[in-house]
Amino acid sequence: MILINEEQNHKSKILIADDSEMNRAILADMLGDSYEIIEAENGLEAIAAIQKYSIELSLILLDIVMPEMDGFGVLDTMNKRRWIDDIPVIMISAESSPATIERAYELGVTDFISRPFDAMIVQRRVINTILLYAKQKKLMGLVADQIYEKEQNNSLMIDILSHIVGFKNGESAQHVLHVRVLTELLLDALVQHTDQYRLTWSDISGISIASALHDIGKIGIPSEILNKPGKLTDEEFEIMKSHSVIGADILKDLPVHQNEPLVKAAYEICRWHHERWDGRGYPDGLKGDEIPISAQIVALADVYDALTSERVYKPPFSHDEAVKMILNHECGVFNPLLMDCLRDISDTLKASTSEHSLLDVSNSRENRGIVEEMVRHKELAASERTLRLLEQERMKNSFYATLTHEIQFEYTALPAMVSISAWGAQLLGLEEIIMDPFHSPAAAAVMERADMCKLAKKLSRTTPEHPNAQQDCVVTRDGERRWFRIVVRSMWSAESDPHFTGCIGKAMDIHDSRMMLDDLERKASHDALTGLYNHAHAKTIIQQRMDDHPGSSFALVMIDLDHFKDANDTYGHQFGDQVLLYMADSLRQSIRGSDIAVRVGGDEFLIFLEYKQGLEPIIQRIFTSLCGQVEDFHISVSMGISRATGADLCYEDLFHQADQALYRAKQSGRGQYFFYDDSMEATLSTVSPIESNHKSGHSAKKKEG
Amino acid sequence: MTIQECYAALHGDYEDVLNRLRSDRLVQKFMFKFLDDPSYGTLCTSMAEKNREEAFRAAHTIKGVCQNLSFTKLYRSADALCEALRNDWAPNAEALAEAVHADYQATVSAIREFQEAQG
Repeated sequence: MILINEEQNHKSKILIADDSEMNRAILADMLGDSYEIIEAENGLEAIAAIQKYSIELSLILLDIVMPEMDGFGVLDTMNKRRWIDDIPVIMISAESSPATIERAYELGVTDFISRPFDAMIVQRRVINTILLYAKQKKLMGLVADQIYEKEQNNSLMIDILSHIVGFKNGESAQHVLHVRVLTELLLDALVQHTDQYRLTWSDISGISIASALHDIGKIGIPSEILNKPGKLTDEEFEIMKSHSVIGADILKDLPVHQNEPLVKAAYEICRWHHERWDGRGYPDGLKGDEIPISAQIVALADVYDALTSERVYKPPFSHDEAVKMILNHECGVFNPLLMDCLRDISDTLKASTSEHSLLDVSNSRENRGIVEEMVRHKELAASERTLRLLEQERMKNSFYATLTHEIQFEYTALPAMVSISAWGAQLLGLEEIIMDPFHSPAAAAVMERADMCKLAKKLSRTTPEHPNAQQDCVVTRDGERRWFRIVVRSMWSAESDPHFTGCIGKAMDIHDSRMMLDDLERKASHDALTGLYNHAHAKTIIQQRMDDHPGSSFALVMIDLDHFKDANDTYGHQFGDQVLLYMADSLRQSIRGSDIAVRVGGDEFLIFLEYKQGLEPIIQRIFTSLCGQVEDFHISVSMGISRATGADLCYEDLFHQADQALYRAKQSGRGQYFFYDDSMEATLSTVSPIESNHKSGHSAKKKEG
Repeated sequence: MTIQECYAALHGDYEDVLNRLRSDRLVQKFMFKFLDDPSYGTLCTSMAEKNREEAFRAAHTIKGVCQNLSFTKLYRSADALCEALRNDWAPNAEALAEAVHADYQATVSAIREFQEAQG
């Protein structure tokens, strides 16, 4: 896959950093069409371009005198970020003093060309430098490719195929993986026995990878047949058997890659992995070595794994039982040579079925291979391998990021710069690279500066041991303000006294879930009709308020709407609701910001307030302001008030006392208020179980209020 | 007017530039491009504003471009101005800038004349 990419982009990329457009144009013209030219007109742009293209750059032609950041600044940064190890730099300048040239070489430039440019010299030096680096890279690449081509193709293909087939057929996901490992083991054993099949190392790799495709035809088999728990009828079995041809047809109809060895191997495997050595298999009844060796091996692997795995219709057989059954031709006849191979790998298989899974065997096997290769090509492979792995990680991350709609970014402190993943930048309408983000108007249009500073502050409190920080903030996306959660991890230099170098991070759009949460929270804590707090939530916050202010004086005012039942009975519930809304509104207007207004339920309300001195005037004011008129209905209230200092009473007691005072108020003819005193201790409660009888009795008697 | 005559008029070294760029087409292309180069404008502004760093960079750019095009006379005056501004504002900076102005005008009018002759 990587090879294909390289072929597509075979033009080497050269970065020309020079503040004069003329000079860039002259150089570009001298280099001609053989290169892809990227231009930067100052040092910061050069850094941004290096950050973006990284090792895709074959060469940098760097001017010294430039605005923003000069050529030496660029070299400094390239040294700090270790880019200078991978990307050759040719310095170009009219500055030709020996001190300048020496400094440039010290900072790691490969060559120095002074003005005026001579087309031939520029061309030759560029070609030489690129060739020199390319040769080295190619060597590294050759080794690395051999080792990792396998790994990369494997993981990707197997993942995809296991999922496709497994999706359709519950039991197959593991099976695909097992067959691959078995195929590889059998092939290794086979080449040790004979060279009659002329299998190269890459054939083995290809067949093993292609083995993952052996059952793709099953996606064309109806699920009822595929997953039928009982025995298949003859007719169903015929349909089931067609999966080998279906799979082969899928591959044959591929519009591209027909000549890829991998696709050819896959075709053979799909079509013929149910053929048998004696010609009694299907679909074509091929015999002996008419069956391609790839298909012979996968057929054996397939059978072995089917035997040793549990199926709906059978328990798993042990390794010994399975081998015995295969040798006895209970699952058809196989190539005798392959029977030898099966015996050869018996120990490995036995160990794997009893202790580890087959996949462990495969991993340790591959790792061993890799380690051996690494030792042999140590100095070449190390950096390339790291790059490959990084590239793989990057691919993975960006894949997951698109799935989860995350925006990934990286911040470097020197120079101050944010690079955003392509997808994220597009989403936010930003450039992928933002220089000096704290002063960038583009960045400020997306995220408020205050939030940036807050995040920076949190980041500054991180340490190498505790590098993570998080912040929720509003981000403007397509002109819409949405909540995002930003998670960052600070990065530190590798020295013994590490210093902050920047951070990596991601931003997730949590707007919908946050809105939902807010809504749920509001619903849970507020009364649906009036929008006041509900009683359950009020209890918690009132108790909290009392606990937090132990020295303060508090009052709890219970309020009951007089004759509310009449309003309901006479004018209907809709009117009743209107009265309640009117009450809630009056309550809101009669209290101060810090007071708490609550609908306890029905026509009962509650106010909790803190007071310094003179509670009575406050109560009087509230009492008066609550009276009013809704259409023909005259509103009056009865109130009971209890008092507490700090948390000397718990909420329940305070509530109980206010309730008793309210009862007294109602008993005394309504339309008035009472403060709780100890004489009321034994009285009844308005919210006690007998309340409703009592209340209705009252209101029936006093219709006029 | 031929390109050689044009180079003679602006006191440049045609042979040298042709040796380096290796094609008349390129020489001509960049000569015309020189007319659009903003560095001279930047130099005038920054000299007027006494912005030493920017004036230095502009003079430096003009010098580099002239060097590449073998505009020898303008190259020399730009080089002198460059050195006069490199570390501080030398007393003769304004006088040297005047020389650059004169040479620049002469260079530009020679190129324009050649351009018109080309049609």
